[in-house]
Amino acid sequence: MDEFPDFDRSWLPYIYLYGVGGIFFLGGMLLVFKSGACDWARASHRRWAKVLIFGYFWYAAIHGVLIYSALNI
Amino acid sequence: MLSLLMQHVAQSGSDAAAAAAADAGSSPIFWFIVLGYFAVVLGFGSYFARFNKSTSDFFFGGRRFSWWLITMSIVATGVGSHSFLKYSGKSFEHGFSGSMAYMNDWFFMPLFIFGWLPIIYYMKVRSIPEYFERRFNAKVRALATGVLLMYMLGYVGIGLLTMAKTLGPILGDSWSLMEIIWVVAVVAGVYITFGGQTAVIFTDLLQGFILLFAGILLFVLGLNWFGGFDAFWNTLPTEFKLPLSNFNDDPGFNFVGIFWQDAVAGSIGFLFMNQGLVMRFLACRSVDHGRKAAAFNILFALPISAIAVSCAGWIGYGMMTQDPTLVSPDTDPDTVFVIVTRILTTKAGFGFFVAAVTAALMSTVDTLINAISAVFVNDVYEPISKLRGIQHDDKHHLKVAMIASAGATVIGVGAAWSFSLFDNLYEAHGFFHSTFTPPLVACIFMGIFWRRFNTKGAMATFLAGTVMIILGRLLPHELIGPIAHGVPSIDPETGEALSTPFKYIGALYNLMACFGSGIVVTLLTAKDNKDLEGLTMFSLTAARRMFKGSEPNDRVGFPQTVTYELDTSLPIGAIRMDREAMNHLAAEQGDLAYVCDKRKWLGGLRSAHAHFDGVHSSGETVLLSQDIYDNGHFLPGKLLVVEKEF
Repeated sequence: MDEFPDFDRSWLPYIYLYGVGGIFFLGGMLLVFKSGACDWARASHRRWAKVLIFGYFWYAAIHGVLIYSALNI
Repeated sequence: MLSLLMQHVAQSGSDAAAAAAADAGSSPIFWFIVLGYFAVVLGFGSYFARFNKSTSDFFFGGRRFSWWLITMSIVATGVGSHSFLKYSGKSFEHGFSGSMAYMNDWFFMPLFIFGWLPIIYYMKVRSIPEYFERRFNAKVRALATGVLLMYMLGYVGIGLLTMAKTLGPILGDSWSLMEIIWVVAVVAGVYITFGGQTAVIFTDLLQGFILLFAGILLFVLGLNWFGGFDAFWNTLPTEFKLPLSNFNDDPGFNFVGIFWQDAVAGSIGFLFMNQGLVMRFLACRSVDHGRKAAAFNILFALPISAIAVSCAGWIGYGMMTQDPTLVSPDTDPDTVFVIVTRILTTKAGFGFFVAAVTAALMSTVDTLINAISAVFVNDVYEPISKLRGIQHDDKHHLKVAMIASAGATVIGVGAAWSFSLFDNLYEAHGFFHSTFTPPLVACIFMGIFWRRFNTKGAMATFLAGTVMIILGRLLPHELIGPIAHGVPSIDPETGEALSTPFKYIGALYNLMACFGSGIVVTLLTAKDNKDLEGLTMFSLTAARRMFKGSEPNDRVGFPQTVTYELDTSLPIGAIRMDREAMNHLAAEQGDLAYVCDKRKWLGGLRSAHAHFDGVHSSGETVLLSQDIYDNGHFLPGKLLVVEKEF
């Protein structure tokens, strides 16, 4: 019989991945701004900052959709 | 190893599939495709030898290539022959989560995009050990050189051995393991030795497309076998379809351990300490193109690669649930890629897939061999020559680089032989990977992002960090157990203690040991008295200024399409345009320029970097100095596009 996975098996890894991974990501973003490596006055840097944020949510969405699909479809 | 693999395949209950795989190896069309592939790759490599005029060309492709070319090269480099076997095997056992290591590389991209990439590009760092000397001192460079060379040579050995294991069942008993390894090594070694980085990039382009096409085609063929995606999806149990594995239940495959080993240590290693990848980014025409290559690779190419390398496992599992006589529940996971491929394809198609796996190996090994050669010339040969007071010109270094490439290939064969003596290849690989990489990773990271991190701290990271890693292997329960996030150290089925517990979560301990050693020693010792301008992410403006030699010009301009003429009176590296073009470009005297053949599909193969020197009044044409004309490999009568860099 196909057992329904519990929270530990389904959403806990996702929360850990984007929670702890998110801490690394956010720390990196803060560091690039604090260090001046990302110069907000430059159009290309603004574009890349947005790409970086997009990437985080892109992967969060992919994993979220896959988990939801596995559990519900 | 070969007979062991054959035995596993025989015992898997899929004797018909295994026999068919061996049968394919005796088919002429199979060999036509496989040998045809080798011939094309060798031809590519030989053609691109003409583009190697200097070590800059040999190692960095002349710093000229477009982002899309580099992206495909990174895809091909990242997918090794072991990838198809390993990820199909893991996916057969654990489902979609078997490929989760392909989908967790974004977290450190801010630090790569705005930190490491601009530093290595603008500071013209040719190798990772060179960065260590500039950041710390020659002793740290020597340590890094030793560790990096051992790591890369070992990786060449593993790639060659995995390839031999894949080809072995097909070739049967007539070929020994070492014979297969030598053939593959010689083919790869020849085109790298003569073709250099340019050959690597273009053969990787070909191989990258072959890999992805083969993997996706296999997936489509598999879905067709089931009768469509819905039928495939409904065959699979719920847990199989989850993209992330169990949190910590299974000591053999758990999410939390793989997070620290791969999403953290592996991602940092991939982006920051992979010499081959560093050289690939340095082959880009600009920092921005390097950023595009990295971003596109991780956002789009990696998820596609995950499907390509893992789908055989998913398909095999589905086949097993529908027909256990076709794919047995006892199938050795390492064999599932070969078995599923043979079930789904004709003999010719099987030849294509074997060529794809060969492409996967060669595209990884070529990068490693080129990188080993770069580290040898830059970090061993040149420093020793300087100590002896000998100065060599670039032509001499180019010859040494080619000899080093050939030498690295031979040593890699030796490494493959020594790995073949281990019972379990992946445990040997895991051990040497997790021992060598954390000190390098920690040093690079702290070097870039922490100005206070000093030379004594770097030495401690290597030396004390390595000692603590070894202690962790000897006392896993005492040292790793407390931070293992509940991952068990006993086999859940037998209740016995595991011989190598904490296989994945041990990476967290290794990182803590290395970072901890470096941080503690740095804080307890005096600051370095060193100019760090351009070597940390706190001084990238200075790095750009040093790269150009004057203040950057970031005014936005527009590329100009022009004809060209040779002007031998121009100084080295110079181009000259008319005043109107300079205004459109928003360029000034001394600004950096990129001159490229208008045909974008060349990917920058015919291009060169220059600087603007004066203006002429000869209309819509660019005057090129002799060296720019030579380095650009421009063809007569072709239009060029001139862009201002900064």
